[in-house]
Amino acid sequence: MAIVIRCLEGRDDVEHFDCGDEPLNNYLKRHAWNNQEKSSIGISYVAVDEGASRVLGYFTLAMASVPREAFPKKYVRGLPPYDLPLILLARLAVDRRFAGRGLGRALISEAFRISLRAADDVGCRCIVTDAYRDRISWYAQYGFVPIEGTAENGPQRMFLDLRTVRAALRP
Amino acid sequence: MAVKIRKKQVEAQAVNRPRKAKFQADIAPAEDRTVRLLKSELQLTSNTDFFSDAIALFRWAVSERKLGHRIVSEGASGERRVLVFPRLERVAPSLALPRVEIKWTERELESLAALSSAPDENPPTEALIRALRD
Repeated sequence: MAIVIRCLEGRDDVEHFDCGDEPLNNYLKRHAWNNQEKSSIGISYVAVDEGASRVLGYFTLAMASVPREAFPKKYVRGLPPYDLPLILLARLAVDRRFAGRGLGRALISEAFRISLRAADDVGCRCIVTDAYRDRISWYAQYGFVPIEGTAENGPQRMFLDLRTVRAALRP
Repeated sequence: MAVKIRKKQVEAQAVNRPRKAKFQADIAPAEDRTVRLLKSELQLTSNTDFFSDAIALFRWAVSERKLGHRIVSEGASGERRVLVFPRLERVAPSLALPRVEIKWTERELESLAALSSAPDENPPTEALIRALRD
């Protein structure tokens, strides 16, 4: 079975996707394609079996930025005099029938590569994601660190410096 | 004496001649069968010719994708299929990700500012290195 990761296409079979989490299933089935093609508020990348179109896993990326004036004044001095550009890893999910086979790692690896390309093309400082509480350690193994101040009962916002990702490619 | 001069000339030529690089690969039996089938279909007798043609095709695909061109096959009835090859996508220009707004709390912005203004990056974890290099 050869897996390829590519941009979501309209003909892809998303209806059978089941990662065990209804909001993540629902996003792929109902919103991902429209958000990508019509609203342009997120690009979804899917893992599919080569030659087939059944989605086995996916992640969604978008660009965002934090206006400089939004930062507390005492921190502004350490930042460049511009808005802070970042990449939002909005969603990442693997069909539970394919869990435990390294697909999540393949997906996040591709997300890192795309993020580096985006940083090369348009400039970007970091990757941010909102991780489910039981997935914090999974993201932490790749170097994501928790952003303090996230509500206790919601997902944990996490940060990964793109310089760290780039450093991982250096021999 | 003359013999010695001639010998030196031959040695000099041997030194100046660019060395051919050797390429060895371990491939799965299924891939081996594919290579043999392709060689047969393309009427190629040597692995060198096969490899040379494969490089030419790959080089063309990379250069096209670098220009932002999509690689498409078109059937007799006009049906089009776009080649999607993740490694080629890495060389494609002008990646366009849409912009979104994220809501932040005051405390999150403090934390983000502290993390972003760090003079040095954290060293990559083993998992990150493996994810990117494997």
